[in-house]
Amino acid sequence: MVVDPSQAGMIAVGAGIAVGLAGIGAGMGEQAIGAAAVGAMAEDEKFFGKGLLMTVIPESIAIFGLVVALILLFVF
Amino acid sequence: MGNTVKYAYIVARVRAMKSKLIPKEMYPKFLNMEIPEITRFIGESEYKNDVEELGKKYSGTDLFEHALNQNLALTYRKLIEVSQNEANLLITEYLRSWDIWNIKTIIRGKFSGAKEEEILEDLVSAGQLGYRDLLEIIKVGTVEGVIAALEGTPYYPALEGFKGNLAEIENNLDRTYYSNIIKAAEDTGNKLFLKFLRTEIDLKNLKMLFRMKRAGMERDEITKLLIPGGMELKANDLARLSSLTFPEFVRALEEYSYWEAIADISNEFTSLINIETRLDKYGLVYASRISYYYPLSVLPILDYILSKKIEVDNLRMIVRGKETTLPEEIIKAHLVM
Repeated sequence: MVVDPSQAGMIAVGAGIAVGLAGIGAGMGEQAIGAAAVGAMAEDEKFFGKGLLMTVIPESIAIFGLVVALILLFVF
Repeated sequence: MGNTVKYAYIVARVRAMKSKLIPKEMYPKFLNMEIPEITRFIGESEYKNDVEELGKKYSGTDLFEHALNQNLALTYRKLIEVSQNEANLLITEYLRSWDIWNIKTIIRGKFSGAKEEEILEDLVSAGQLGYRDLLEIIKVGTVEGVIAALEGTPYYPALEGFKGNLAEIENNLDRTYYSNIIKAAEDTGNKLFLKFLRTEIDLKNLKMLFRMKRAGMERDEITKLLIPGGMELKANDLARLSSLTFPEFVRALEEYSYWEAIADISNEFTSLINIETRLDKYGLVYASRISYYYPLSVLPILDYILSKKIEVDNLRMIVRGKETTLPEEIIKAHLVM
């Protein structure tokens, strides 16, 4: 597909917004989970594995944002 | 979002602490053990450090008693230290009940001429009055001196004007505690905390009503001892219940949700212990239930505070009961589980 320079700029902005907003969303999700994981770990170190796993689950949202950004940049 | 993050850390920590409490299935096993076996079990549990630390100074049931009290105080202090903002304020206010407990214990001790060590045995420095403050207060010889030593604390207004009536100042202390804590809760606007407190006041008033009714006290004397601010038992309910005879009072209780706690023993209201244990259990189950309804709030913390206190009370009851060779059924009747 041929895109003119102004469209290329808009695609880049769209990709940036996708990654940025997804990152903010993931961060918002992680802050409570991270706090809870640290709290549980402070009492019992055995919660390290579970805590880490739970904390990175919202990270998938950031990956979705990245995928959308890559599609925008390389498919169009 | 704000509240979720605010309570996430402390609630996760408290839940992890709660998982380390002694499971209720253990209590019947304790009843079959001897005191040294129970002390050994406790010495290998969460109470390990306290038993080891105090083992050089005390032995037998005294060691047990001191280790339980020290652990309870340290656990509650830890909650204050690891919490922040609103949670910290509410926990601090709630744990002031231990200041009230300690002041009452010291005054009672001084009133009856108990030794300093004997008074010290029953103190739990989990409130705002630290262990050293309490030691200083104990050294004062008279009740009046103790009251003077408390000048400048929030408890002094309840104590000043003491004219030798112990019940009156104890009642004043309770009322001051609840009016202060309700004010603090209203200032923060935390409705869940208020709901929990108001239910606690109801249960306390119910216990008081049962005791007073059984003792055949007059309405005016009873109403003076009740604490205002309950959830279901409002001022007019308390006034009505106070004026009824014991059988009428029991029938009138059927209107309230607390009846479910004691309904199954309604034919045997001869034992106050059974009633009080049931009401304590109701409070424990209620705290646990609402803490699951609102998992990221102050309620799981209050649920833990209550559960920890009941664990210590149960252990103390078992050991003291065994020491005085009480029959197993009587010890069991006192256990909240």
